[in-house]
Amino acid sequence: MLEIVRQQMICIVAPGWPGGGEIPTPVSGALNDLFKDVAVVHFASIGLLPAMADAAEQRPSLMLELAVEEGLSPYDLLYRLIYHSGGAMWSLFGGMYFPNVEEPTDQQKQQLLGRLMECHSIADGAFVGARDRSVRQIQMEAELLKQTRNEARTLKPKYGNDRTAFALALARWAYTNPRFEWAAKPAPRSYWRGKGAGIGAKLAYPVSALVLWFVVLWLGGALPRAYNWFFGEPHPVVLAIEDAVSKTSKCLLAMSGHFLLAVSVIAFLVWLFLVPLPAQFVSWRRWLKSIQRELERPTETISSLSTYVAGWVIGVPLLLAIAACAIAYTLAPLAYALVPEYMEQTIEPKIPKLTGLELTEIAVVAIIVVLCIGALFSRLNRRFTTLSERFFHPLEDDVPRAQQIHPSIERCEAREVDRIQHMISLTDLCGPQGWSAWCIRASLRIVTFAGRVFFTQGWLGDAPGIHFGHWHIIDNGRRFLFCSNYDGNFGGYLDDFINGASSGTTLAWRWTELNPRVPAVAGQPGIAQPRSFPPTRFLIYRGVKCELKFKSYARDSMLPNLYRFVACNATIDEINLATGLRDALFGERNEKNDDLIMRAIET
Amino acid sequence: MKLSMYEPDALSPGARNFSYGAFCWLNRHIIVLRAVGAVLRRWPSLGGSMVARASAVKGVLTRTRSFSNTAHEANMVSGTYLIGMDPGPTYDSDRDLVHQRLAALNVPVDSDDEAKRRINTVSQPGAGAFDLIDDYLMWVVFHAMRPLYGTATGAVVAGSAAPAAAAQGNVNQGLQRQYLLEIRYVAGQLLAGSLATLGVRRRAETCGDALQARIGRLTGLIGTAWGVTSSTADIERNAVGLAWISHPVTVQSGALAVQELLERPKVYEQLRSQAKSLGASVWTDANFRNVVRDHVLELMRFRPIFPLLARDVPRDTEVETGARHNAKCPGGGKVSLLSIAALFDSTAVPDSGKFCPHRNWGNEHALRYLMFGYGYRQCPARDYAVEILTSALIGLLTLPGLQLARGEGKAIVYDGPLMSCMRMRIP
Repeated sequence: MLEIVRQQMICIVAPGWPGGGEIPTPVSGALNDLFKDVAVVHFASIGLLPAMADAAEQRPSLMLELAVEEGLSPYDLLYRLIYHSGGAMWSLFGGMYFPNVEEPTDQQKQQLLGRLMECHSIADGAFVGARDRSVRQIQMEAELLKQTRNEARTLKPKYGNDRTAFALALARWAYTNPRFEWAAKPAPRSYWRGKGAGIGAKLAYPVSALVLWFVVLWLGGALPRAYNWFFGEPHPVVLAIEDAVSKTSKCLLAMSGHFLLAVSVIAFLVWLFLVPLPAQFVSWRRWLKSIQRELERPTETISSLSTYVAGWVIGVPLLLAIAACAIAYTLAPLAYALVPEYMEQTIEPKIPKLTGLELTEIAVVAIIVVLCIGALFSRLNRRFTTLSERFFHPLEDDVPRAQQIHPSIERCEAREVDRIQHMISLTDLCGPQGWSAWCIRASLRIVTFAGRVFFTQGWLGDAPGIHFGHWHIIDNGRRFLFCSNYDGNFGGYLDDFINGASSGTTLAWRWTELNPRVPAVAGQPGIAQPRSFPPTRFLIYRGVKCELKFKSYARDSMLPNLYRFVACNATIDEINLATGLRDALFGERNEKNDDLIMRAIET
Repeated sequence: MKLSMYEPDALSPGARNFSYGAFCWLNRHIIVLRAVGAVLRRWPSLGGSMVARASAVKGVLTRTRSFSNTAHEANMVSGTYLIGMDPGPTYDSDRDLVHQRLAALNVPVDSDDEAKRRINTVSQPGAGAFDLIDDYLMWVVFHAMRPLYGTATGAVVAGSAAPAAAAQGNVNQGLQRQYLLEIRYVAGQLLAGSLATLGVRRRAETCGDALQARIGRLTGLIGTAWGVTSSTADIERNAVGLAWISHPVTVQSGALAVQELLERPKVYEQLRSQAKSLGASVWTDANFRNVVRDHVLELMRFRPIFPLLARDVPRDTEVETGARHNAKCPGGGKVSLLSIAALFDSTAVPDSGKFCPHRNWGNEHALRYLMFGYGYRQCPARDYAVEILTSALIGLLTLPGLQLARGEGKAIVYDGPLMSCMRMRIP
């Protein structure tokens, strides 16, 4: 399921670029024609990646980024691009592998395809904002929006403020316009945006898997007994096998039950601590918020340091203890099956015998104690303001240097004003690189899964405006490449991540650093001094919240693009608006659709 | 020009893979479909609106107004064509054009020539193994059908009218192969149908777009070659349709026929010994050709390329399935035809379970060609396809003891329900 998303964003990183820092105009023109003609590429860009210091090939790598429609395999896509009659891909890459060959033979094209397949990398993590839309659909819906607005201007004097009649007139106009015949069919939606949008459908998968697991285990134990009942007792050897199967099934069933119960209890406790208690008790709410605030606090203060230390001293051991209890409870049936006497005679006497009522009382007392501690600290905080200020005061200045933007990056951003913005970021993985690569991949898979299943309306967490964002681990797991096509400007874009998806961003980037590197070619940014990602706490806290440090880090990691292709220059909001207008114009006439039409033409 | 508009998968994850996998498995294990067909022939009411008896299948295929070919339309990724149209002026004019183009074919001379040439290549000393589809059938069928585009064939294959070589038809083999793969995937979608996974569908759509773009650049040239004054849209529709429907379906039918033949060693040996005894006259002996043609048709009966068909139901109607009551077919729905079951209906086909190339079909002679459709909507290229496959099979019979190349990976590689590779070994 995730591969279909990851395949939508491909980077071809071909080492040994012999040219300079410009893509010749005829090649750019040919690439534009190619991408327009194949009509499956949403965005494309070209950048130069500096060679690694210890690489045999010291010339830069040419990076072609492609963000394409869903469902295309990289091979099919590259095949189509390379064999296109325009020969644009040959103009770009041919010279790197087959110098001085103007007109390639078919065999050479096939060899080029093989080389590019070796160099290609599908995204390790990816997010698509404007989901379920083809390039043509976006273009056609944008045209529908434009034409509808034009028509609305014509009809405005006639209908004035009569919104219902106005919407009806526009719907009639759209219906009778043969150019928009295609729009009569509702805009397609994938399962997770359509039937599977509800939480019930999302829960159905794990619940079904769980039920299936229990049924299989139960059948494993029940079938031999049913067989014996039906046909009589079999041969002793078969009987012994049946007995073993039944016992294993019974043990697994009990372990699964225990595991499910343990997970349910933990889930209940998490819910209790995070939802009802903060809702009921102000002191609890303040306490939770202050913990989060202190963990994310970008500046070093006594308060944040003490929270961090308390997290290690109290939080981590507590979580480990809970996990150990859950594991012990899950494995208990296995232990009883393997060493029943030891369990009954040695372990059981050591387990305190508490009734359910007693357990509940202990839990309630624990909660009250924590509430009282929270309230006490809250009161102390308000009572001794001088002490409090000192406690929360920053210990050091956070920003060692201001952001410095390389002129080539500024030129790129200036070129993209009023268009969909773009960024390329290249960082190195911290050592041990294998571990860092594994952690990043695991984090990115979670982000991709969440984006695919939960964040289906164009927002990644609370971060809007991302068209195609993708992360690649390249150069045998040594470097981390991030490309993004987004709305707005770079500062605002990073703010969205800092405020909207800080945990995921911190988790993905915390394993990176910036090592010194020379510019790919003259006129492009290099890195003189090594840099680290802002410090993080408990994997997901702080990091990007150190805003200036993070922005400075991100700026320093950026590389300019030499070429850019945008199939349709529309923001996510405009794309969503156009799709909504299509469904409203050709849907049933009701207040909701009328309102959507009017909002679309008034926006 | 049809705009291929990708649609995301609305089915829950896993459901599509499962249903498509089951469909492909059934296509590959045709015996299971035959078994299902036997059950539905015996108890037609079990199938609902799925018809299996020969009489019922013929009935549906001849009631073209009640059971429409538009069921194919959704899977024709490169635009509409005869097979997906309802009868009407466009259908009639397109059909006339197809007949006119088919008349230009020089079959079996061209197919024989290419088969001889390819057999010479694959039987070179040391050749050992070859791919039946990529090294043989693809080219035999392609060369037999080259005259479809007349003087524009080279340009169509090259995808450009610019080079003089392309205009003369002297296109390198790599470009020819690319073109043939492109049309294979477009045709594959017709067979894979609406069950196809997104990846399969996307590949077909991409190839469909490429094919349309290829033809779109050459409509003038093709129109001149055909000597017609139709509109650009008409020429494009027919040129695109002819490209994808003629070649891949014939190639796949040939591969299925050979697969069936190799599973019948006695039949194969008998044919091969006849071919051997004829020596050099194997290509010219009319009686032997008739025998091989009968075998081709019988092999196709056992492995038809479309064992399961669908038809749209434009308005409420009923169909005689053979059950006590007619099956209701509500308008807007579909009926399914188990044509493989009709081909084995013992009430219409004598000794239906036996492999009998020289069967006397009696009044049911038309049923013999059911794999090409039935009645007015039958494939116009039926006889040409049979002749091309006959040439291909004669060529294969001249080889000594053909076998599937087992032991070096799978001899037959499937791409969905279609065979993409069939490795053969010559001892």
